[in-house]
Amino acid sequence: MRGHRDLAWSSIAGVVCALVAALVPWEIVRIVAALPLTLFLPGYAIVAVAFGSSEPALPKRLTLSVGVSLMALVLGTLVLNVFPFGIRTASWAVLLAVVVVGACRGAALRRGRLQPGQERRSPLAGFRPSWGAVAMVAAAVVIAAAALVLAQKPLPAKNAEGFTALWMLPTDSKEDAVRVGVVSSEQDPASYRLTVRVGRKSQSHYRVELDPGEERSFEVEVPRPPGSRRHVVASLYRENKPQHLYRRVTSWLPRQTTFP
Amino acid sequence: MVSARPTTSKLDRLSFPLVALTASLGVFLCALTNALSRATLEPNSILYWIGLLIIAVPIFLRLSLKGPSYRERLGLVLLLGLALYLVKVTRDSIFFSFPDEFVHAFNAENIERYHHLYHFNPAITTTPRYPGLEGATSALMTLTGMSSFGAGTILVGTARLTFMAALFFLFARLSGSTRGAGLGVAAYVGSSNFLFWGAQFSYESLALPLMVVVLMAFVEREAEPPEVGSAWAVPLVLGILAVTVTHHLTSYGLAAIFILLAVLYRVMKVKKPNPWPFALLAALAALAWLLIAARSTVNYLSPVLTDAIKAIWKTATGESAPRTLFHQASNTTETVGATPFFARAVALFAILLLAIGFFLGLRQLWRRRRELEPLVLLFCVAGAAFFGALLLRFAPAAWETGNRAGEFLFIGLAFVFIFGAAELLRGGPGLQRRRLLLVAGLGIVLVGGAISGWPWDVQLARPLQAKAHGREIDSEPLALAEFARKRIDGSRFAAPEADARLLLTPGGQVAFGGQGPDIQDIVGSPELESWQLPLLKENHLPYVVADRRNSADDTLRGQYFTVPGQYGDKLQDRKLLHKFARIPAARVWDSGRIVLYDLKDRP
Repeated sequence: MRGHRDLAWSSIAGVVCALVAALVPWEIVRIVAALPLTLFLPGYAIVAVAFGSSEPALPKRLTLSVGVSLMALVLGTLVLNVFPFGIRTASWAVLLAVVVVGACRGAALRRGRLQPGQERRSPLAGFRPSWGAVAMVAAAVVIAAAALVLAQKPLPAKNAEGFTALWMLPTDSKEDAVRVGVVSSEQDPASYRLTVRVGRKSQSHYRVELDPGEERSFEVEVPRPPGSRRHVVASLYRENKPQHLYRRVTSWLPRQTTFP
Repeated sequence: MVSARPTTSKLDRLSFPLVALTASLGVFLCALTNALSRATLEPNSILYWIGLLIIAVPIFLRLSLKGPSYRERLGLVLLLGLALYLVKVTRDSIFFSFPDEFVHAFNAENIERYHHLYHFNPAITTTPRYPGLEGATSALMTLTGMSSFGAGTILVGTARLTFMAALFFLFARLSGSTRGAGLGVAAYVGSSNFLFWGAQFSYESLALPLMVVVLMAFVEREAEPPEVGSAWAVPLVLGILAVTVTHHLTSYGLAAIFILLAVLYRVMKVKKPNPWPFALLAALAALAWLLIAARSTVNYLSPVLTDAIKAIWKTATGESAPRTLFHQASNTTETVGATPFFARAVALFAILLLAIGFFLGLRQLWRRRRELEPLVLLFCVAGAAFFGALLLRFAPAAWETGNRAGEFLFIGLAFVFIFGAAELLRGGPGLQRRRLLLVAGLGIVLVGGAISGWPWDVQLARPLQAKAHGREIDSEPLALAEFARKRIDGSRFAAPEADARLLLTPGGQVAFGGQGPDIQDIVGSPELESWQLPLLKENHLPYVVADRRNSADDTLRGQYFTVPGQYGDKLQDRKLLHKFARIPAARVWDSGRIVLYDLKDRP
């Protein structure tokens, strides 16, 4: 690839990005590496090998690079799916790096050796934006970023109807205890009385105070003689309406494994 | 034709950076209106439409000038595509929220989880058989650690920018004018599916851009000498194969385009190589994929198409009443927010403007009919067919087919529109006034397209998550999905459709809804009928969601918080919640309006 700096840099970038995306634990670093590896470099290399020395003008080449990268991802999935190891981080990293390096090597062979002084001009040569233009584009980026941040922020929604949910599941496969949970999606803090009845006699009572978005859960043992089953009923009452059943969940332990 | 000679004008002061700045302000205004809507403050939606116009009008104006260079025009159409995509992204920026997005996100998560393709999807069984989008997304997910939402948003955004650039190059090559190409792309964003439907995380959102890249490669190949042109065969072939495994209808559409081109090349005796090899490849690839990997597509598409044909026939013969335009289908007695009269008028006026632009363009093209290329001829036919497809909106079961076809046919319409715009921008007295008329027309087309492309009452975001006392709270169906994700390990659910979609993702469960099998009637009827338990047993569905909300089956509106006064605040018969308790079966989760039953947990 001597003399073809774009191909050399693409190959190096392909390998480095693949290694970073596959091995580095920090998501943000992996994103920075994976975006060019998936959305640009494979297409750039394939376009380079397809066109040899008669590549289209830069805007079309860039568009094709991204478009062909998307095609390579689509078809690459089918290739990886054939192998027993399948579609994984490592297999994607290896496949994309191999495509980039292999296609760059092929492109270098097709282009032939460059004569001294024949090297490409940088596409940004002569591009000198004014400070005003830079400031306006920077402001545009900041405003768009602010729009994205605003969109990701959950906001107070006073007119939305809140609710509280009660749930109950066995703690593990032995099914000799249950976990009973109360989740608040109410607009305001609320207090409840939780009653868990095991069989006909045993009852446990809990006072539950929850802020909006908060969840509390309780583990309740379900003792039972061998071979028998117990009916467990958890009932939730609002403290300001103690006579009115608010939520109820039930279970029969151990659970059946067949349909009725 | 529209030439791009530089000239000086007061409007030339509207530089690219300034246009970028106004576009970002428009995006922010749309995001702000959506934020107010999520906060249930019922903002005036006029703010949102102003936001859209602030994005688009300066770009349209700049594109209509002679001054901008080829690269600047490309930059402007990319800016337009990016800004309008951000409008969709900032509408629901926490989770996917469009009905099909849950389905495809579930597929992508399955690929990441199981490392192989084709895992079953209970919502749309055909989708795993066209794994292009999800496979590409899985590359980003596995290499970055991002969620399907993050990876999918980036991937569709990239595809959208590629679409804008490829459409610009395609139009520029065929029309011979970069100004015309820019205006053609500007017209395309007025397609009713552009703003929301085409921007969602769905297979067509990737397949359509790839199709346009293929068409661009084809016209570039035609324009180059043979020794250079052959290189364009690489993106052409790769693109045809990628479209084939990404989306059924797009692959059939692409095959049809190449077959028609091959026929036209022969009939018109074009002195260039006939594209029959590409037609053969596209047709064989689509057929082979259908027979080998995606046989279920026949069962998926045939009812939709036959119902559409029947509906057209019945409406045409007067056997059934035509569908009311702008009427939102609802399976309950509750009324869905109707589109206001003024908005309807804008949408219809946009169609009228498109028809005028098409007519003017067609007249221009007719004058040079002897030198027309086959693809240009095809675009003229597609443009005319667009108006024919609009008529399908009057047939109740065919409106969706017409709506979806519009996305493809609009490419032809936008191309012919270029020549109508050229007529309007021809030099002479009153040019400035005509330019402003064109820009205003494009603005109306954009807004009109957006109005007719998405139901009026869900144009703005609704609350899926909210904040109360400084902490995040989830909507009822989302809270159930989160509970299932944390506490129930990949089980099978029967649920109303809106709940089922959220149980797919973020819930991570295999959730059935709808009519295949007939879950809709099981979870939607207050009585437990004799066939219902056997059907649940047959399909191995131990968990059943009972949901009293009227919107529980509505995949556009059912996933959000209930807001009094908005559609979905009415409740169905209380018996609906308790019918499975009478079996009896265990109640696992109870949130008041929604109860989750475990049918295997019983006395």
